[in-house]
Amino acid sequence: MDSASSVCNQGILESLTDDSIQEILQSWNGFCVCTEALLSGTGDLSVGSEFVSHVHGLCKHGLDSLVRDHFLRSLEETFEKNGASKFWHHFDAYSNVTALEKNNSLIHENEVQQVLCKALEEISLEKQYQEKCLLMLVHALQSYKDYISEGRHNSDAERVHFVSKFQLIVSSVLMASLPRHFPEMLHWYFKGRLEELSTIMAGEFDNDNGSQDKDDMDLDDKSKISYRTGEMDIDECYHQRKFSENTKLVKNIGKVVRDLRGIGFTSMAEDAYASAIFWLLKAKVHNLAGDDYRSSVLESIKGWIQAVPLQFLHALLAYLGDSVSYDSPSSGLKSPLASRPSSCYPGMDTPSEGLIRWQLRLEYFAYETLQDLRIAKLFEIIVDYPDSSPAIEDLKQCLEYTGQHSKLVDSFISALQYRLLTAGASTNDILHQYVSTIKALRTIDPAGVFLEAVGEPIRDYLRGRKDTIKCIVTMLTDGTGNPNGSGNTGDSLLEELNRDEENQENAGIDDDINTDEKQAWINAERWEPDPVEADPLKGSRNRRKVDILGMIVSIIGSKDQLVNEYRVMLAEKLLNKSDYDIDSEIRTLELLKIHFGESSMQRCEIMLNDLIDSKRTNSNIKATITQPSQRGAELGGTDVSLEILDATILSSNFWPPIQDEVLNVPGPMDQLLSDYAKRFNEIKTPRKLLWKKNLGTVKLELQFEDRAVQFTVAPVHAAIIMQFQDQTSWTSKNLAAAIGVPVDALNRRINFWISKGIIAESLGADSDDHIFTLMDGMVEASKNGVNSGSCEELLAGDEEGERSVASVEDQLRKEMTVYEKFIMGMLTNFGSMALDRIHNTLKMFCVADPPYDKSLQQLQSFLSGLVSEEKLELRDGMYFLKK
Amino acid sequence: MTTINGYSETPQGYQDGNTPVPAPAISTSKQPLTTAKTVDTQSVLKRLQSELMALMMSGDAGISAFPEEDNIFCWKGTITGSKDTVFEGTEYKLSFSFPTDYPFKPPKVKFETGCFHPNVDVYGNICLDILQDKWSSAYDVRTILLSIQSLLGEPNTSSPLNTQAAALWINQEEYRKMVEKLYKPSA
Repeated sequence: MDSASSVCNQGILESLTDDSIQEILQSWNGFCVCTEALLSGTGDLSVGSEFVSHVHGLCKHGLDSLVRDHFLRSLEETFEKNGASKFWHHFDAYSNVTALEKNNSLIHENEVQQVLCKALEEISLEKQYQEKCLLMLVHALQSYKDYISEGRHNSDAERVHFVSKFQLIVSSVLMASLPRHFPEMLHWYFKGRLEELSTIMAGEFDNDNGSQDKDDMDLDDKSKISYRTGEMDIDECYHQRKFSENTKLVKNIGKVVRDLRGIGFTSMAEDAYASAIFWLLKAKVHNLAGDDYRSSVLESIKGWIQAVPLQFLHALLAYLGDSVSYDSPSSGLKSPLASRPSSCYPGMDTPSEGLIRWQLRLEYFAYETLQDLRIAKLFEIIVDYPDSSPAIEDLKQCLEYTGQHSKLVDSFISALQYRLLTAGASTNDILHQYVSTIKALRTIDPAGVFLEAVGEPIRDYLRGRKDTIKCIVTMLTDGTGNPNGSGNTGDSLLEELNRDEENQENAGIDDDINTDEKQAWINAERWEPDPVEADPLKGSRNRRKVDILGMIVSIIGSKDQLVNEYRVMLAEKLLNKSDYDIDSEIRTLELLKIHFGESSMQRCEIMLNDLIDSKRTNSNIKATITQPSQRGAELGGTDVSLEILDATILSSNFWPPIQDEVLNVPGPMDQLLSDYAKRFNEIKTPRKLLWKKNLGTVKLELQFEDRAVQFTVAPVHAAIIMQFQDQTSWTSKNLAAAIGVPVDALNRRINFWISKGIIAESLGADSDDHIFTLMDGMVEASKNGVNSGSCEELLAGDEEGERSVASVEDQLRKEMTVYEKFIMGMLTNFGSMALDRIHNTLKMFCVADPPYDKSLQQLQSFLSGLVSEEKLELRDGMYFLKK
Repeated sequence: MTTINGYSETPQGYQDGNTPVPAPAISTSKQPLTTAKTVDTQSVLKRLQSELMALMMSGDAGISAFPEEDNIFCWKGTITGSKDTVFEGTEYKLSFSFPTDYPFKPPKVKFETGCFHPNVDVYGNICLDILQDKWSSAYDVRTILLSIQSLLGEPNTSSPLNTQAAALWINQEEYRKMVEKLYKPSA
């Protein structure tokens, strides 16, 4: 130091006399010694006067900057030696705090707390002392200046300058030697304190809620009001009680925070308690929200924020508010999050700006946390819909606040892909989830923008399933279609949609009526732009209305396919009816007409009309025949009359293609049928009746010696058992010939009777030729455990291939063969054609029934099918016949 | 012993084709085509469309025809030479041009591919009775194609358009060589 100072003073050395050099050296040495003594001294300020005189002596020679530098330097060294290293030494034991944190025990936490408090206290004392020394120097310099100029200088500026410099030194020394685990320790400290505090406060909060359970919304209302009026919502006693109970704890924390600020750790301290608060809040949200979607948790979370963290912050800020003057010189170090020193004292409840900012931050965080939690579980929530609608409502509010809809879309789509759109899920389940999704998301996003995005993968997937259309039609028209049976039975989706629609329409009408100019203006002012995520191609939200049926139909592509499928199902249903009762079908048809238009449902309407006409015609025919009723009895010895015959008369052009199968009905029955047909011809000349003998149902009763069994079966089954009336044993070939069906069909059909234990099968001489024998009723009854007496068996849609109507798939296959022939024909004559030319040509010339209505994509996949069957070749975008 | 008692049945009946149609909207589109005596484009169009459908569905080997892209009155046809004739293995393109009063007048049919045949001239014109004076509205594209196909194997050498071909017809082996030499398949 000495050499350095002499070098510094080289310039003016020349002008110095020996005396003055001597004097300078003396003062310098004295100054150094005094500084040493002062700084290392334990509160002993006795060297003060000596120190001042040395300072004066040096200043006289213009060396005041040297004095200042030297003093600050020694101050720094001393602080580093005495303050910082000692301070950090306290925490050495916790350098592996992260490891300890795992088996984090209370003792450990208390220890941390004590150590931290002690260390902070020590370093604060040290700092205070050194500051005093500094002030002494300032004082000395000041007094010299006063002495020189005999007038007051701006002493405050000097002092502030020195103090802030010292503050800087302190924090930079500490920062420079900061151990890595210290921030974490702070975090753990605050977390521990806060947990303690929150248990006390939460207890209070719950008690409070419990005792004043007159109104759950109490707190919420209050918070709203307070928010608006700018007042904390703590009524006096409530606040006082809580405050007094927690004052100590908060004070302790406040002290730690203050000390930390004092040594320049303002932002670190804030980070630490902020993160602790957020951690606590997150835990609380998870705890409250959990996996229960049946209740709304948003309000109680808000209540908790109000009751616990904000109370704490309120108290903390209030406490720190006392020390405003203390730490304001160091305000340069404040983080942007720092709460302003406020004039908020307990009891004077004006929330500081800082507190409001905290409230907003905490609420945003809570919303975001809850939103993330709900989004992650959205799949389950939607499975539970509508029971889970409170959770949906919560999510809606969260999203309105955070605006992170895209998160929802991404997460939900991946959940769908992982959990729903797999081979294991039944089409019905997927459809139900789809409908629930539509309903649920409609709440969150009435414009349907996100629904569009979420629905797309489901629709794409469903398009790949073969039974999609069938399931949709079942779901739409059949209330009992729910496979689990858990849902509300007897109420089809269509009925529900219709109710929805009516409600919506009513609302719409109200709107129209109320829309005067003023209302229109208000509406216009309320206009909000589409969310940014909206696809501009999909039109504005005003035109978009979430239409469940539309979204379902969009899976299939066109309503025609849906209507066609319904027609097939309706045909099947009608053909299996024997009582002409079609009330529910009429109702369904009317509903479908509302949605799909009259014209597309026309064929179905004709089918229903056929049933109504049949009923009338049937009774007409019977009326004409009753007079010669003996005729029926004459017919085959058995007493069959037209009374027992009910016919369904179809206009075949409007029905889907009907499976035709040859069947020889028993003679008397055949006679009856042709008799009926003749009558029909007489009444309805020139129309004639063509029987589809394989369709319909037969009610019959088998009489055994000891009992009678009733069955409702298909005609072919009746024909089979009828043959056994006269002959108890048949070979399968003979029986097949007698009934007029192929042997394999017979073998399949006769299984019905075998399974009922009425016919037994045994191997004949020829391995292909089985022998069927009528069993004695009693033996079989005991063998199969069939309850004796009469039992009604209903035969419904038994074996495969027993459908009366060609399925839509069959029809589609037939259509496709037509297209194939056309494509072959045009390629034969034109050589090669591009895809769109084939498409256009089919559109123009393939006017079969139904006309060509496929999309370019459908055609393309059909063509590539033909290519893989090696019927066509594709070269350079042109299709050729494979030679 | 078993007796079958109370045999009641409700089979489904079929009304025959003349069912009065309850919905008039549909009935208009289903009206038969052949009754129209007056010539109007609409009925010609329908006739040609149903002929196309019938032709496509018939699946006769070696004959085919299809309307050109935008005009159903102009068709392209294809005939392959029948087996065991001198034309075996060859393929001929034809063009059909239907008059607006079809089917009361026959279509104009020409070979687009050169065909060495006694009844076909160098321009592709065909001498076939049913395409001229023996035409009947009962004929259709399919019968024309079948007639031309059989004409290939059984020419009428008494009134030839191509005298050289008519003269050569007796020598089938030479004729076959000539056919092969002159045959230029379309691209």
